[in-house]
Amino acid sequence: MNIGIPRALSYFDYFPMWQTFFNHLGFKITISSPTTKDILNKGVSLCVDDACLPVKLFHGHVAALVGKVDAIFIPRLVSVSPGEFICPKFIGLPEMIKNSIENLPPLLIFNYNLHKDARDKKDAFKDLGRQLGVDSRDVERAYKEAISRQYIYEIMLESGQNPLAILHPKENWDKQEHSKGVIGIIAHPYLVCDRYISMDIVRKIRLKGYDVKVVANIPQKTIEDNLEAMPKRLFWSYGKKLLGSGIEWLKGNEVDGIIFLSSFGCGIDSFVEELIRRFNARKHRLPYAVFTVDEHSGQGGFDTRLEAFIDMLEWRDKSGYNLSSHGQDVYSG
Amino acid sequence: MVITFPHMGKMYIPVKALFDELGVDIVIPPKISKKTLEIGLKSCPEMACLPLKVTIGNYVESIKRGADTIVLSGSCGPCRFGYYGVVQKEILRDLGYDVDIVILDPPKEGMKEFWERVKKISGNSSFYKGLRAINKAFKVCEETEKLLQLVLKKRCREVHKGDTDRIFNRFEEKIRRVKGAQEILDCIYETKKQLENIAVDNNKRPIKVGLVGEIYTIIEPYVNLDIEKRLGDMGVEVHREMSVDGWVKFHLAPDIKFRRRQKRILDEAKDYLGLCIGGHAWETVAHTLNYCREGMDGIIQILPFGCMPEIVAESILPTIAKEENIPIMTLVVDELTGEAGYQTRLEAFVDLLHLERSRKENESGKVLSWN
Repeated sequence: MNIGIPRALSYFDYFPMWQTFFNHLGFKITISSPTTKDILNKGVSLCVDDACLPVKLFHGHVAALVGKVDAIFIPRLVSVSPGEFICPKFIGLPEMIKNSIENLPPLLIFNYNLHKDARDKKDAFKDLGRQLGVDSRDVERAYKEAISRQYIYEIMLESGQNPLAILHPKENWDKQEHSKGVIGIIAHPYLVCDRYISMDIVRKIRLKGYDVKVVANIPQKTIEDNLEAMPKRLFWSYGKKLLGSGIEWLKGNEVDGIIFLSSFGCGIDSFVEELIRRFNARKHRLPYAVFTVDEHSGQGGFDTRLEAFIDMLEWRDKSGYNLSSHGQDVYSG
Repeated sequence: MVITFPHMGKMYIPVKALFDELGVDIVIPPKISKKTLEIGLKSCPEMACLPLKVTIGNYVESIKRGADTIVLSGSCGPCRFGYYGVVQKEILRDLGYDVDIVILDPPKEGMKEFWERVKKISGNSSFYKGLRAINKAFKVCEETEKLLQLVLKKRCREVHKGDTDRIFNRFEEKIRRVKGAQEILDCIYETKKQLENIAVDNNKRPIKVGLVGEIYTIIEPYVNLDIEKRLGDMGVEVHREMSVDGWVKFHLAPDIKFRRRQKRILDEAKDYLGLCIGGHAWETVAHTLNYCREGMDGIIQILPFGCMPEIVAESILPTIAKEENIPIMTLVVDELTGEAGYQTRLEAFVDLLHLERSRKENESGKVLSWN
């Protein structure tokens, strides 16, 4: 059987786990091609208007797989950590797909719910195994292999590897020799890893001579520590990552500037971005810009804003800024 | 300590009863107006959902009238509402208002904190007094909802246009002046009597429309451009299952009969959506199906722009519309919603329902008594 996996949303976080699981059980998998204009347009036309860009894109990737595979794998990630959620749209994703796309092959729905207990992880795979009709002992073995691969992937990211380097190993993603600085991109992995909708922002920043850090590079422990100060625990797993790494970078040791890359209509970003912006404005005053992408975003405007942001970063170190960057009084001569 | 709270339809009536009984001073925010929304628009994130912006306006207007503590219920679901308190506190701080926001999270998030917060806002009343106040507030809540349902029934059948609204507006003015649960209840009963006495056309068989969607936008008339009145004035009977009373009965007061009914409605929707995805998306789908069974002519879904859970429901509803053969319209409201366009869409929808009904009745050979 040929199983189709859409290259969108949680794919960028969990593909090692899924690929290993299916491969170990001897299934052939087909991953939809990287986003193209056609896939995006298809998604926009199929999905309800009010959904956010990544969800529309997911529809497009599913539609691209229709007719080419025997079954399509749709993750329903209710919760990836106890007491937390991801986003209502992630939970309702299979329903959205079922009701928006016609002529679908059978769907393999992966019900991943660790809201009550982190040990429920296995249940999701057992359930998937039942849907595939494979022996439970094989599922057990495949599961173990899958989570160990996933673990390695997460360690690689936390050690500072760019997820794009893992996804596109042929290109050069090494740390630059004469790096001018580091720019932190706060964004959901499914935005920053999709080179089409993120306008290839990582590559563009690297071409300007800066290194890039992404949210996945911040260890979970640091994130939890940074969020201790919040008056109420944050219950979105992605939201936590964005806010936790934002607070870490605001301290100013790791990055020279922060770019918040958001998709139009993202509910979680609207709150997290607001908090980071207010924290920054009150105390830290790091160079900070918000880039919102949607299906109408133009390459030209995006590039101009990015260039302006980097110019601002550089001027700040020279003379564009009226205050001395070394903490001396301007008037003292 | 002077407490205030955000508006949500007529929720202020039971809340007022509760705090009056506890002997705690409160400021009821002024009725939501364009000014309220403008305060919110200036200070809130652009992409945030509409209720966040409106409620910030409520707070600021109440603070100017002397409030210093804001009470807000919380949740830890995937819906954004759960984090309102934190974001709003930051916004108010930057606006220069140093007020206390007390978020009443569900007790499972921390029993001790929950009790401390309850104690704080209850003005150190005794346990017994508190319990009695809550009990009375529940009663007021139930009666208020009954009154609102009566308004829905009367408005579409009244002989002299505007009778119902005149009585109800007088009630709303009066309720702000009375004090204590008993006086509020008296006021409600009196209005009920007046409403029952207005001249109605009992032979009329109005078009029936069910309202589903996100609870705040359904209940708060300013945000949904008073859809109940608009439809009622067109002679449409509006059915609205979602209410503050329903929420209280499902989540707080142990009303087993009501709960069982709701559970059954939710279970029946499992072919379309079988789990809670946050907010009221599950209820939206389930109530839509239930309205189909109850013989509604059409269904209207209302959601604030960008509402995460309702978007999922929105993509499911067209399938129900097709399979159950019922017209469903989705209205997305935000601060830019224009009144004329909204009215036109409602009128067109109601026209469509009239046509559908006469077509159905012609098919079954019934005589049309009403036109």
